[in-house]
Amino acid sequence: MVKVANLRKRFNGLEVLAGINLRVKKGEAVALIGPSGSGKTTLIRTINGFVIPDAGTISVGGEEINYRDPESLRQIRKKIGMIYQLFNLVERTSVQVNVMAGALGRLDRGLSLLSSTVGFFTRREREKARELLSFVGLEDKAGERVDRLSGGQKQRVAIARALMQEPELLLADEPIANLDPKASRKIMELLLRINQEKKITLIAVLHHLDSVRDHFQRVVALKEGAICFDAATRKLNDHRIQDIYTVDEEIECIAAQAGI
Amino acid sequence: MHCRASWHLNKAARFLWWSIFLVVLGVSFRISQVDIGSLIGGLSQSFALGREMLPPDFSRGKQILILAAETVAMGFWGTILGMIISLPLGFLAARNTAQNWFLYHLSKTLVTLLRSIPDVIYAFFFVTAFGLGPQAGVAALTLATVGLLGKFYSEAVESIDEKPVEALAATGSRGLSVIRHAIVPQVLPLFMGYNLYLLDHNIRVALALGVVGAGGLGVELFTQMRGFHYQKAAAILVVILVIITAIDRVSAYLRNRIIKGGFLQPGSRSRDAALVGAIGLFTIVSFYFMPVDLKEMAAGAPRIWEFLKGMVPPDFSRISVYLKLMLETVGMGISGTFLAMVLAVPLGVLASRNVSHHPLIYNLAKEITNFLRAMPDLVFALIFVVAVGLGPFAGVLALGLNTAGFLGKFYAEAIENVDPKPVEAVEATGARLPQRIFHSIFPQVLPLFNSYNLYILDRNIRYSTIMGLVGAGGIGYELVMTSRMFEYRQMAAMLLVILATIMILDLVSAYLRKQVV
Ligand SMILES: Nc1ncnc2c1ncn2[C@@H]1O[C@H](COP(=O)(O)OP(=O)(O)OP(=O)(O)O)[C@@H](O)[C@H]1O
Ligand SMILES: [Mg+2]
Repeated sequence: MVKVANLRKRFNGLEVLAGINLRVKKGEAVALIGPSGSGKTTLIRTINGFVIPDAGTISVGGEEINYRDPESLRQIRKKIGMIYQLFNLVERTSVQVNVMAGALGRLDRGLSLLSSTVGFFTRREREKARELLSFVGLEDKAGERVDRLSGGQKQRVAIARALMQEPELLLADEPIANLDPKASRKIMELLLRINQEKKITLIAVLHHLDSVRDHFQRVVALKEGAICFDAATRKLNDHRIQDIYTVDEEIECIAAQAGI
Repeated sequence: MHCRASWHLNKAARFLWWSIFLVVLGVSFRISQVDIGSLIGGLSQSFALGREMLPPDFSRGKQILILAAETVAMGFWGTILGMIISLPLGFLAARNTAQNWFLYHLSKTLVTLLRSIPDVIYAFFFVTAFGLGPQAGVAALTLATVGLLGKFYSEAVESIDEKPVEALAATGSRGLSVIRHAIVPQVLPLFMGYNLYLLDHNIRVALALGVVGAGGLGVELFTQMRGFHYQKAAAILVVILVIITAIDRVSAYLRNRIIKGGFLQPGSRSRDAALVGAIGLFTIVSFYFMPVDLKEMAAGAPRIWEFLKGMVPPDFSRISVYLKLMLETVGMGISGTFLAMVLAVPLGVLASRNVSHHPLIYNLAKEITNFLRAMPDLVFALIFVVAVGLGPFAGVLALGLNTAGFLGKFYAEAIENVDPKPVEAVEATGARLPQRIFHSIFPQVLPLFNSYNLYILDRNIRYSTIMGLVGAGGIGYELVMTSRMFEYRQMAAMLLVILATIMILDLVSAYLRKQVV
């Protein structure tokens, strides 16, 4: 489903992605972990085309991304549903309107482009939105304004929006970092249910290792822009975790002290 | 925390508001003669006039340059005199430095009243009282400046940090000494910024005042347009364009430096000093071209008194005509605002950096917006009266184009300040640009757009009263005619009708603002 080969990216001289190789099979669920600044968000954003890599290739669903062609980027993005830490909903409009936005990428031609732009959608699309809202448990909130919802509810709206795309892949960047434990568990269960029932591939950046252990079979860890762990979750022992999260500067610091 | 706002209204109330909006708009179109046919005709007539203007004829270049200097000098004098008068008024009309209840309310009311009347009405008034020439223009600019600066100054004084004031008061200082040592240092940069803004504004207004005979380039423009010398008129328009562009750039640069506190600081000191020096030199040179004779102006004061005496008691015998014309005036303002909104949406979108990725399109839209905004509305009116003929339609076009510049700038600023997160989220669904604009940007900026629209509506209805001074419809035309026949008592009645309308509209717009924003 996703093939990343020799991916490199620098920001102002700083090497953020240092040659990433990664394969994710169709229907898989992968947790992406790593210390802050290790390049997780950057990797996710190269997969949906918001960051242009310096070298390397990515293909999604067998199609290689051509970063220079806006139309190719758009076709790739149509296949990918995005879930964000801060939900990224249009706050001043209703739940229904936000969910409908997920259909925009599909309605990109001719009359349906025109009508969807000004906010008219077919009955089929509207019914689909309603079904998805009841799938995420918000059937009674369709007319509510988004800024009146709780964080957990907002994230469920965002998930419904992503599903409205009929995606093949879901990318979630810290989807539960701003939620309380109860809402976090519900959101993770929902994401995994989508992965299993709808056979949608899932890559989720997570900081909370308990959630990783509870829900994922495979873990990929990034450290300083390189993959330092990619294996079954059960192999993620304390020693490994220490390894992943120990920043090298500390070691250098200790070494320097020892040198004195 | 939610304020009472439109989304709380139920469907029925929403429907009611939309119906009122559409009916008012329809009636306004009707009385200001706007329809599809007139719009298409207007477009082709304007192009025809444009062709007749090319190429510009600079044979009167020398006179034009002298008049340009006179215009700039008018702007300087109006600003300086206005500053001198506004300084005490600003402190008297600020809550924290007011001397007593009576003076506070008197100065505040005076400033508000001065601000509510369009500058060109003052010019018209002074031309009638003083006679033709730049003296009338300077007097008009002075009054209009006090209306604006008085408000800006007093708001700046009210917004200061009170701690230094208290500290100084605790040492036993009082009155002027506190103002001098604790308040002036705080408000000085703000005041300088406002002064520059007013200078910029006044020079632009001065370009238009000549249209009613109050001196400067406008006189020449009016004469050439009315004499069908369109190529000569085009030369003047080119000079006006150069002046407003130059002034816009210089004042934006200086204001930016002053507000950021970098003015005359190391790094760009020589450039800033050179600019200030150039302005100073320019001032002296332009004063040479228009030695404002304060003595002569003072001598004109008794004439104003005579003139005012001739206005009482106001003669309301033709009130029904005035009311009908006033209705046409308001209709022009509403139609003009709608035209401005329609034009400003594409302009604003294209002139925002976060939407318009192509630098060429972005810069073009920005330049068009700046041009429309900087060009005085009376100059537009003069052109459109020639292009599409006398009547309210010319006024609608003038107001619409001029304020499309204002709205375009406001819209673009609002769009550049949207929260980018939902915009990226919608882009991540694979949506195309127009879909992104409608689904992630417009919902965020709509409330801001509404409040800008109301502000512009307010302004346009005020300024639609002056469109008639050049024959572009509304009550202004009747005002000119009555003054030509020395019917000062009828003029007084008309001015009162205008003032009353403006006051009523202030109330209406304050109410609407509460509903929408
Ligand atoms: N657009 C950008 N311009 C410059 N530097 C950037 C940009 N985006 C990311 N970086 C830098 O790249 C590095 C990796 O950032 P990234 O956001 O990918 O890390 P992350 O693993 O997601 O961290 P976190 O867990 O804190 O979200 C950081 O040092 C960051 O400052
Ligand atoms: Mg991140």
